[in-house]
Amino acid sequence: MKKIVLIIVIVLVLLPLHLFAGGQKDAADANKYEIVTVVKITGIPWFNRLEEGVDAAAKDLDVNAYQIGPSDADPAQQVKMVEDLISKGVDAICITPNDATALEPVFQKAREKGILILTHESPDQAGKDVDIELIDNVEFGRHTWDMLVKYMGDKGQYAIFVGGLTVPLHNLWADEGLKYAKEHYPGLELVTSRIPCGEDQELAKQKTLELLKTYPDLKGIIGFGSLGPPGAAQALKEKGLAGKVAVVGNVIPGHAAPYLKDGSMSHGVLWDPKDAGYSLTYVAKYLLDGGSLADLKEIPGIGAVVVDGDVIKVDAMADITKENVDSFGF
Amino acid sequence: MKRFMKTHEFHVLVVILILSAAITVVNPNFLTLENGFDLLKSYSFMGVLAIGILFVLISGGIDISFAATATVAEYVMAVVSIKLGGNMITSLLLATLVGLLLGAFNGFLISKFKIAPIITTIATMNFYYGILTVITGGKWIYALPEWFRAFADIRVFTLVSRAGTPYGLSVITLFWAVITVLAFFLLRYTILGRGIYAIGGDIGSAERVGFPVRRLQIFVYSFMGMMAGIAGVIQALLVQTVAPNSIVGKELDVIAAVVLGGASLSGGFGSVGGTLLGVFLIAVVKNGMTLVKIPAVWYDVFIGAVILISVGFTSWQGKKGYHQAVIDIEKEEAA
Repeated sequence: MKKIVLIIVIVLVLLPLHLFAGGQKDAADANKYEIVTVVKITGIPWFNRLEEGVDAAAKDLDVNAYQIGPSDADPAQQVKMVEDLISKGVDAICITPNDATALEPVFQKAREKGILILTHESPDQAGKDVDIELIDNVEFGRHTWDMLVKYMGDKGQYAIFVGGLTVPLHNLWADEGLKYAKEHYPGLELVTSRIPCGEDQELAKQKTLELLKTYPDLKGIIGFGSLGPPGAAQALKEKGLAGKVAVVGNVIPGHAAPYLKDGSMSHGVLWDPKDAGYSLTYVAKYLLDGGSLADLKEIPGIGAVVVDGDVIKVDAMADITKENVDSFGF
Repeated sequence: MKRFMKTHEFHVLVVILILSAAITVVNPNFLTLENGFDLLKSYSFMGVLAIGILFVLISGGIDISFAATATVAEYVMAVVSIKLGGNMITSLLLATLVGLLLGAFNGFLISKFKIAPIITTIATMNFYYGILTVITGGKWIYALPEWFRAFADIRVFTLVSRAGTPYGLSVITLFWAVITVLAFFLLRYTILGRGIYAIGGDIGSAERVGFPVRRLQIFVYSFMGMMAGIAGVIQALLVQTVAPNSIVGKELDVIAAVVLGGASLSGGFGSVGGTLLGVFLIAVVKNGMTLVKIPAVWYDVFIGAVILISVGFTSWQGKKGYHQAVIDIEKEEAA
């Protein structure tokens, strides 16, 4: 009983403070735009880095910008978060979709309320206002295949990991790369349909071990999703196959460094997610201020942009090798 | 033997054998020692957690927070090992202790305030995981100490495959094996074990007979916490990276494996052998799908179907048994 009284007292003491703090904050931010970035999954290095960009833009542009995301890559949770933001009445929602189709209805709802929708890593997304791509996705897919061929040669068996079968960008790269490979590298043979394990290192490792048993002639693995390549590299190291099977794909430099250096991973391709966070927030503010897409020529600190319909493209693709892996700073 | 053939464990075993035979026909690499050892290593994590949740389920409870507990224990262990140094034994003890404390807190809340275990542990899951995210900011740890990395590569014995790659029984699997044997004796041959079954069967009767219900409840959640702590270390050994979110989300897989192994969600039933078979079944299905070249889009469908068929079959068998109204005291004791 005493404890309950104590708890009630504590709550009563804290409550007014909290309300007061909340009210004050709203007053100060009342004139600021509220621009929220919703990422695929919170707390993984990739999106932590993206958040740095959101925070930097919030400071530079004097807007109330921040980042949220579900605890696992769950499309339903993301939809729920967007719904909450709509009822909260934010000015713009920037999002990296887990599932393009799942989000369409809520995007519709947001736009009816006059909320701006900006996507990243989802160029064909229906229901968006603008999509921003830090890389040319067709080029990115092709480049990944070029790199695979560089390390495994243009003949032999390989497999593809994606983060999930509904992740738009991973599958777009895979589609583009496969089309490209059909024309340019007819000697390559994809052993099985793409495997969804790119966001779970342990699963990627397990899948790689299984692939090696199923396809003993496997020569390469392409990993989309930043945990796929490290998992594959780990499995190869364990089986004494480091360097004998090529592993290329997108990774966090800091995470991939040991694998690149010991040769169990061959090559990384990516862009800096910080640039993405910054660009999303910058463009959101630009559009909220009444700027027109056609007039957008560059994003400060990021570079020149090309506007193609409702997709904004910035060329910020980077290659990660064992020589330059330590120079990225994340 | 005849009695064994009527048990749930036997049915699961039959399913495993049929699946294994089918997979082997398509891909002979399935039934190799190498694949077996690889699976025993990979599934050590799930296996240890399964033993923990088995105790909780038998006692008539449930725990959703164990993945969060494992993550906290893993993170604390990694930070201390990097900052202060240590060795495998101190790491393991530390993680087990952290797990024990978080588990005991669950047990305390559940036994003292009589809040439904599912509500309590959903709350503590968010609480543990939330605090960890606040303190660490979701930062990942890559730079584990050299002795920690090296330990993961130790094999109890080493064989060489025809292709020339070394393989063998990983030391990580030993953790799982030792825990399984201990759990078996604890449940089967101690008063403590009997007590856990008793409170899961009928908590009121157990109390009247004189079992210390509160202490038993605190024990099962503490035990689950310890298993989560050890599983956290295993996860770090397997992946060589410590991530605040890498374990959260695997709770249901583990619970599904234990239920597959015959444990009842309403308490009073379950065995270590069945749990082991449940984990094996999940492992065989997941492993087999790649080996028989099933496209990845079908994975979830297969896992769901196997769980439904296995649990559904047992439930149907159980119903039949109920109608027959056989009173078999020895079987009750063996359960």
